[in-house]
Amino acid sequence: MKKKSEALALQRNKETNRVAFLFLIPVAVLLILYIFYPIIDAFRISTLKWNGISPNTTFIGLDNWIKLIHDPHFWSAFKNNIIVMILSICVQIPLGLAMATFVEYAGKKSKLFKIVWFIPMLMSSVAIGFLFQYALATNGGIISSVSSLFGGGNIDLLGNPDTALFTVIGVIAWQFTPFYMVYCVAAYTNISTDLYEAAQLDGVNKRTYFAHIALPLLAPSLKSAAILSMVGSLKYFDLIYVMTGGGPGTSTELMSTYMYKMSFAKFNMGYGSTIASGMFLVITIISLLTMRLLNGKGEEK
Amino acid sequence: MKKRLLRFAAIALSVMMIVSLAGCGSKGKSSSGGGDADKTITFWNIGAEGVNKVLLSYPVELFNEQSDSGYEVEFVATQNDSYKEKLVVAMSSGECPDMYTSWSGGPMNEYIESGFAQPLDDLYEKYGLTDRLMEAGIAQSTYDGKIYAVPTYNISVAGTYYNKEMFEKYGLEVPKTISELEAVCAKLKENGITPFALANSTKWTGSMYFQLLAARYGGLEPFQAAVDGSGSFEDESFVYAGEKIQEWVEKGWFPEGVNSLSEDDGQGRQLLYQDKAAMDLIGSWYTGTLKSDSEEFYEKVGWFPFPAVDGKEDNLPIALGTVGDQFISFNCEGDKLDAAFELATYFSSEEAKAKDIENGYLPPTPDVATLVDDPISQQVLSTIADATAVQLWYDQYLPPAVADAHLNTCQELFGLTTTPEKANEVLQAAMQEYLDEK
Repeated sequence: MKKKSEALALQRNKETNRVAFLFLIPVAVLLILYIFYPIIDAFRISTLKWNGISPNTTFIGLDNWIKLIHDPHFWSAFKNNIIVMILSICVQIPLGLAMATFVEYAGKKSKLFKIVWFIPMLMSSVAIGFLFQYALATNGGIISSVSSLFGGGNIDLLGNPDTALFTVIGVIAWQFTPFYMVYCVAAYTNISTDLYEAAQLDGVNKRTYFAHIALPLLAPSLKSAAILSMVGSLKYFDLIYVMTGGGPGTSTELMSTYMYKMSFAKFNMGYGSTIASGMFLVITIISLLTMRLLNGKGEEK
Repeated sequence: MKKRLLRFAAIALSVMMIVSLAGCGSKGKSSSGGGDADKTITFWNIGAEGVNKVLLSYPVELFNEQSDSGYEVEFVATQNDSYKEKLVVAMSSGECPDMYTSWSGGPMNEYIESGFAQPLDDLYEKYGLTDRLMEAGIAQSTYDGKIYAVPTYNISVAGTYYNKEMFEKYGLEVPKTISELEAVCAKLKENGITPFALANSTKWTGSMYFQLLAARYGGLEPFQAAVDGSGSFEDESFVYAGEKIQEWVEKGWFPEGVNSLSEDDGQGRQLLYQDKAAMDLIGSWYTGTLKSDSEEFYEKVGWFPFPAVDGKEDNLPIALGTVGDQFISFNCEGDKLDAAFELATYFSSEEAKAKDIENGYLPPTPDVATLVDDPISQQVLSTIADATAVQLWYDQYLPPAVADAHLNTCQELFGLTTTPEKANEVLQAAMQEYLDEK
C-alpha cells in the first residue's frame, strides 16, 4: 500500500516536471530569441568592422575592445551615467519614501496627493522631454519668463554644459519619484497593523515608530528599489535623447546615447556593439557588487 | 484521455508559437530580389507631413495615373528625425526598399559602398534627364564618377534673411563684407536687438556660420584637402571661422542661450517675428517657411548671400547648400529599376515643378529661374547660377562620424566651452581616424 502511494507520488512528480517543462518552453523561446541571442550576437558583432548595412564584414578581433578601453568619450559617458545613478538614488528614493510616508500617515485625506503625485508616471518620457524643453526654453519658456519678470534675464539651463546634465536629472527625478512613492506605499501595506497598534500601546510616538520600526521593516524594499534605480540609471536613454541629444557638445552623453549614435548615425555598428557589450559588462558587474554588498550587510545583522 | 488532449494542446501551442516567430524572422528576404511577379515598387521617403508630403506624393500620383510600366508604387513615409535610423535598420536586415530618398553626401556613400544603390548613367541617358536637371544637382548625386541618385524638388543654399524695415529704421545697408556685417551687428546690438536669430540646439544651424566663414576666408581648397587627407582641419581658415564665431558670441550677437533654442520648434524665427532679432543665416527653404507662417511678415523680409571676408572677395561666389534635396537612390534591378527611375523623372515634370514652386520650393532644373517670380527666390537662383562651386553642407558631406564631431565641436564653440584650436584638433582627429580606417 505504502509502496503504491510512493510510486504514485513519483509518477506525479515526473508529470509535474514534464508539464512545467512544457509550460516553460514559450517563455524560454522568447528569452532566448530576444534576450540571450541578441546579447551573444552583440558580442560577436563587437569583433567585426562593420558599418551596419554592408553585407561585407571584417573580423578584427579585439581591436574594438582595445579602442573602447582607451575611448575618452565612452568613459566620460560612463561618468555621466554614474552621476545620474548617484543623484537618482539619492533624490528619488528618499523623496518617494517621504511622499509615501506622508500619504500613509495622512490616511484617506491624502487621496488627492496620491493621485496628483502619480500623474508624471503616467506620461510618456518623450512627452515629458518636450514639455520640459518648452518650459526651459530661453525664448519664452516659463523659467526664463519668470526670471525676466524679476529682472533676472534669461536662464539657460539646457544649453549650458555645466547645468544641462543636472537639469535633465531633475526632470528624470520628477518622472520617477512617483514610482518609488508607489513602491514604498506598497511596502508599507506589508507591515502588519498589529505592529503599529502594539507600538502605540507601548507609548511609541510616530517619529520613533518610523525610525525604529517601520524603516527597518522597509529596508529590504528600499534595497531592491535602489538596485532598480541603479540599473535604470546606468542604461538610461530617453529623456537625454529627447531633451539634449547628448549636447551641448557631448556634455550630457550617456553610454546608451553614445552607443545609439555610433551604431545608427555614424555607421559603425561594430563599435556600437562593443559599447553595448561594454555597457552590459559594466552594469552586470556593478549590480552584482552592489547586491553582494547590500546582502552582506543584511546577513551580519 | 483528457490529459493526453491537454498535453497535445500544450505541444501544439508551443510549436505554433515557435513557427510563427520563425515566420517573422524570414519574412523579408523575398522582397529585395525584385522578381517579375512582384509589381510593387516600395518607395521610402520623409514625406510624412507638411510640404514634404505634398511634394513627394504628387509625382507618385502622376506616375500611378500616367505610367504604362505596369508597376504600382507603395509610398512609405517616415518622419524626418527617425528616417535615417529606420533606413539603416532596414538595410542591415536585408529589407532595403526598392527606392528611397536621402540627403546625399556621407550617408549616401555608405549606402552605395554597401551595395544598396545602382549606378544610373544609362537611365539618365535613356530618359534624357541630364538636360532636365541642373549640373550642380547631378554633381551632388555622383559618387566615384558615376551617378547614383536623382535630385528632386528642393534647392537650398545658405543665405541671410533680414528684416528690411529694421534695417531702414536704423539706417543700415546690406553688408558686402564681414567688416560691414560687423558694423551692422554692432549698430543693432546698440539698439537692443540681437543681430542673428540663431537656434543652435539643432547644431547644424550654427554649423552654417562655421562653414561659410571658413569658405569665405580660404575658399573650398582647405576643406577638400582636409577631407582627402592632404590638408587638415587645423588650417587657418577653420581657425578664423572658430575665432569669429566666438568673438561674435562674446559680443552678444547671438541670442542668449543659443545652444538650447531649437530650430525644429521654430525658436530661431520666432525671434525674427517678435522683432527681437534682425537676421537669420539659414537655408533658402526658409522662403517657403516664412511665407507660410505669415505672408504679412514675409513682405518685410530681404535676403543677401553671406558677405565676403575683406580682401578675399574671390571667395564670395562659393555657395553652400544642396541642389535638389531628397536624392532618390534605387535598390532594384531590370524592369523594376526602369519603372522606379521613370517615377523619379516625374519629379522634374512640368506639373511637379509647378507644384514645387507653388509651395515655395525650387526644383533643381535649369529653367527654374523662368518659373519663379518671388524676388528672394530669384536672388537665390542667381546666386547659384553665378556660383563657382556649390559645396554640400559639411554635416551631410562628411563621413557620418566626422560630421558628428564637426557638429559637436561647432556647438561647443558657440557655448564658449572650447577654443577654436581645440575644436579643430578634435575635428581633425575624427577625420584622421576615418582616413586611417579606410
